[in-house]
Amino acid sequence: MANPTIAAPSAYQKDTGGAGVTLEKVERRQKLFNRICFGVLIAFALLWLVPLAWAVDTALKPNAETTKTTWLIENPTLDAFQRVLQDTAILNWFGASFIISTMTAVGTVITASLAAFALSRMRFRYRTLVFWLVLAGIMIPGQVLIVPQFREMDALGLLNTYWAVSLPQIPTAIAVFIFKQFFDGLPRDLEEAARLDGAGWFRIYRRVVMPLARPAVAAVAIFTFVASWNELLWPLLVLTNPDLMTVPVGLATVQGAFGIRYADTMASAVLGAIPLVAVFLLFQRNIVEGIAGTGLKG
Amino acid sequence: MSTETVTPRTRPAESPPTGPAPRPHGHGRQATGFLAPFAFLYLAFIIGPAVYGLIMSFFNASLVRPGLGGFAGFGNYAEALQDADFWSSLWHTVWFTILTTPPLIALAFVFALLADRVGRGRWFFRLAFFAPYILPSAVIALIWIFMYTPELGLLEVGLAKIGIAAPAWLGDPTWAMPSLAITTIWWTIGFNFILYLAGLQDIPRELYEAAAIDGAGPWQQIRRITIPMLGRTTTLVAVLQVIASLKVFDQMYLMTSGGPNFATRSILQYVYDQGFTNFRIGYAAALSMLFFLVVLVVSAGWFALVRRQEKEV
Amino acid sequence: MTVPNVPRAGVSRRGLLRGLTAAAGLGAAGVLSGCSTEVASGLTRSREVAGSLDYWNLFGGGDGVRMQQMIETYRQQNPQVKLGAVTLAWGNPYYTKVSLATVGDKPPDVAISHLTRMKNLVEADLLEELDPAVLARHGLAPERFTQRTWEAGLVDGRIYCIPLDTHPFVMFYNTDVCKKAGLLDGDGTLTPLDSPEKFTDAMRRAKEVTGTYGGVVATISETSTPWRIFQSLYSQLGGQVIADQGKEVVIDDGKATEVLTFLSSLTSSGVMPATVDYQGAIAMFAEGQAGFYFQGEWEISTFQTAKMPFSMTLFPHLYREGPYACQADSHTFVLPRHPDNSPERLDRSLGFVASMLDQSKTWSEGGHVPSWRPFLESNEYRQMRPQSNYAAAAEAAVYDAEGWYSGSGSNFEIVTGSAIGAVMAGQLTPAAALGQMRTNLGDLARTPSPI
Repeated sequence: MANPTIAAPSAYQKDTGGAGVTLEKVERRQKLFNRICFGVLIAFALLWLVPLAWAVDTALKPNAETTKTTWLIENPTLDAFQRVLQDTAILNWFGASFIISTMTAVGTVITASLAAFALSRMRFRYRTLVFWLVLAGIMIPGQVLIVPQFREMDALGLLNTYWAVSLPQIPTAIAVFIFKQFFDGLPRDLEEAARLDGAGWFRIYRRVVMPLARPAVAAVAIFTFVASWNELLWPLLVLTNPDLMTVPVGLATVQGAFGIRYADTMASAVLGAIPLVAVFLLFQRNIVEGIAGTGLKG
Repeated sequence: MSTETVTPRTRPAESPPTGPAPRPHGHGRQATGFLAPFAFLYLAFIIGPAVYGLIMSFFNASLVRPGLGGFAGFGNYAEALQDADFWSSLWHTVWFTILTTPPLIALAFVFALLADRVGRGRWFFRLAFFAPYILPSAVIALIWIFMYTPELGLLEVGLAKIGIAAPAWLGDPTWAMPSLAITTIWWTIGFNFILYLAGLQDIPRELYEAAAIDGAGPWQQIRRITIPMLGRTTTLVAVLQVIASLKVFDQMYLMTSGGPNFATRSILQYVYDQGFTNFRIGYAAALSMLFFLVVLVVSAGWFALVRRQEKEV
Repeated sequence: MTVPNVPRAGVSRRGLLRGLTAAAGLGAAGVLSGCSTEVASGLTRSREVAGSLDYWNLFGGGDGVRMQQMIETYRQQNPQVKLGAVTLAWGNPYYTKVSLATVGDKPPDVAISHLTRMKNLVEADLLEELDPAVLARHGLAPERFTQRTWEAGLVDGRIYCIPLDTHPFVMFYNTDVCKKAGLLDGDGTLTPLDSPEKFTDAMRRAKEVTGTYGGVVATISETSTPWRIFQSLYSQLGGQVIADQGKEVVIDDGKATEVLTFLSSLTSSGVMPATVDYQGAIAMFAEGQAGFYFQGEWEISTFQTAKMPFSMTLFPHLYREGPYACQADSHTFVLPRHPDNSPERLDRSLGFVASMLDQSKTWSEGGHVPSWRPFLESNEYRQMRPQSNYAAAAEAAVYDAEGWYSGSGSNFEIVTGSAIGAVMAGQLTPAAALGQMRTNLGDLARTPSPI
């Protein structure tokens, strides 16, 4: 902040009425302002935590207590969680979500990085065409395609399989662009050296470029995993077998089944949230840096 | 990272001639190999269905009947443009966008500003604001439906304690959309928050110090330095937000089923209703195409805006 | 969710390994503890496990509990059959799911369907026709079902469903509150409310006792209930809403306005709450904040569990110009069209249905009027109180009119119920609501059937 002892006389000092008094007043005003900022921010942050806290609070109550709208839990119990684990197929849903999201993340990283490598490093006649086609893909909102994709999966006999959920999610145009941008920014020396040693394109891709691309791989993998896990509409249509439902679809499908057993409802919500909170806590840095990187792209 | 699942067709390396590394050209065949997995899935599951959807929109296709059904020409489109429900669902979507976009930008900006200034304990604020963002819509819906429940929901009881009579939230046609908007703002603000926080950290401190020396107070610093320097970020946030709002579906489907009285039915939900509840997938395809046009127009607007901004810079 | 640009710092190998193991642990927990064969079957287009039976229903709340009991009994009696029973959300989503599953060739073997929706499933070619000879072999001959329900389920004389029950719209009343309000006669039964004035008076007296409300019925975030109470009264006046397979809107403005005005007077005068949702109405009656509650009989289990003093009876006959009528639907068992046409699977499916019908007693304890005559006409049922109080409703049941967009929980009920609920919530005038209904139903009526 400003150091009045070396500042030239200026409007600022005129404001505060002369040298000597200014430093303390400024610092005090700064501190007060900072404290207010902190207070406001903490208030909002606590406000933001209320819904999740409320859900956990309700989940720990017996069902009868949930109609009394209060934070106090008279008879805390884990029964709601037990009932949800026993009566719903939520563990199946965890398994299904995990398999699908992993398939999608792995598939996306592989196909997108391969394609991006070609676009970044290779010259071929229809390069521009491919580039624009991929760009066009970013424009098409997925929801517009659900009807024809459903028909297609039906024709391929893939309805009610994880493939049906995962395959349409794998070709992600944005992932291609992310990898391409990253590859473009890599120095070429190692590649040139490898080529002089007689390495082919695939070897360069596998042994030189991809090891350097770990940040991009991490970002794409994590975001694809989370996005795939949270998908609702497409899995909802395609997975009609309750044993195969993903977590969001399962929760949506049994939504009304709990009736006024609000503790059970909140317990199912909390259980549904746990895997992703775990992902967040483990991969916080990557997620945050991934998003932050978008800002650079502008 | 395993690459065993996919083995593109590789050709033996072109051994380079002696001397400086030549400019590579004509790698068509190898490139095809690398592009093949992506291209195959892309054409099969994105471009293909898009084309099929376009074709289907010209027919009276039914979900429970095989094939395309009777030819309808532009009939579906004509019906859509005259369909009051289509226009009202479009309006509902726009209204939702209006309700959510300004707060999601302004609040995220304010929070980021405060968090940046405060400096410490950033992990806590990140957790508080961003944790909701990674949760699936189904979890969010369960929690907020409970909070909006008449008579015993947290919001109603909480407001009653400070003497405000709460509306019927999700059951009131005027308040249902704002209720969904509040939920959405709570859910997705984290993303913008992080974006702004990163943008703020990129602004050099010297600029602030110089301004302070010149006599600028905190508000002036924000107005003259922070906001302009975050212009790019704000544009990005705004466009992402608008496009995401246009595509809104989950909240409506889970929390109000488009009600009450269809007051919250978004355009995608209308597409879903027509296609999957009423079985009219030809008509739903036509509606999808019209929706796609809207998204295209907005995206084009974004491109133009970004182009102009880059020219200014 | 957008996938963003590249992060500036990377993941350390240790961090990545740590993360992967944790994620794998979560997934493994899910996969292993949750019947891994079922979960893993998502990767293969696995054929049905031999001797398995898939049964889908839409029973939540009290009904759900009953159905679970009956399913358990079947499991104990038939250990050789691997029964997979699933409950899905009530309403349009349920029928969409059943339709999609059948179209995708992976339907359940047996499914519940409302009678009013079953016709549309038949038209969409999604149900198997049932052979009377095969049915007779399993003891499911037409004579063993109530005539009204059996015949209502026929399509062109062909059999596509097996009725389980009729579930009419009824009146619940808190016996304590009504006693204090002087509404019970010497036997402890409710004095008949046979005019709108008597009805309103009864509500007012109940309100004086409870101090909050006299009666309660769900009005918001819910469309079927407002439709049901409207339809019960409207059909007592002899009114119809749609006709000719749903292609014509035939609302009688005079009669409809009379009913809507009456309903809105109940909420505007304060004897019934204007804005309350489905669960809220249940909670209010269960906690004694209202003396009367109006809904289908299936909520009986909820109140029995709450251990409150209540009884049930027919929804009152307020408009005596015509015969008694009340809104109702029936649950039926249907067999979706299945790629596996083996007689063993058919036998298993019908055996399951027969077992469910044998347990009509348990099902009736959940409030429904059984269609299974061996039980309906037994002394056991006649002695079941309060269930047998309203058995007559099955004969007076008014089903939703036929139409591709009609049936329980359908767009028809959503359109009408929204308007009616809005009138009761004080958000629309009767005239405006009628206008809205006409417009929206008119749109649906004009649309050619997509089936």
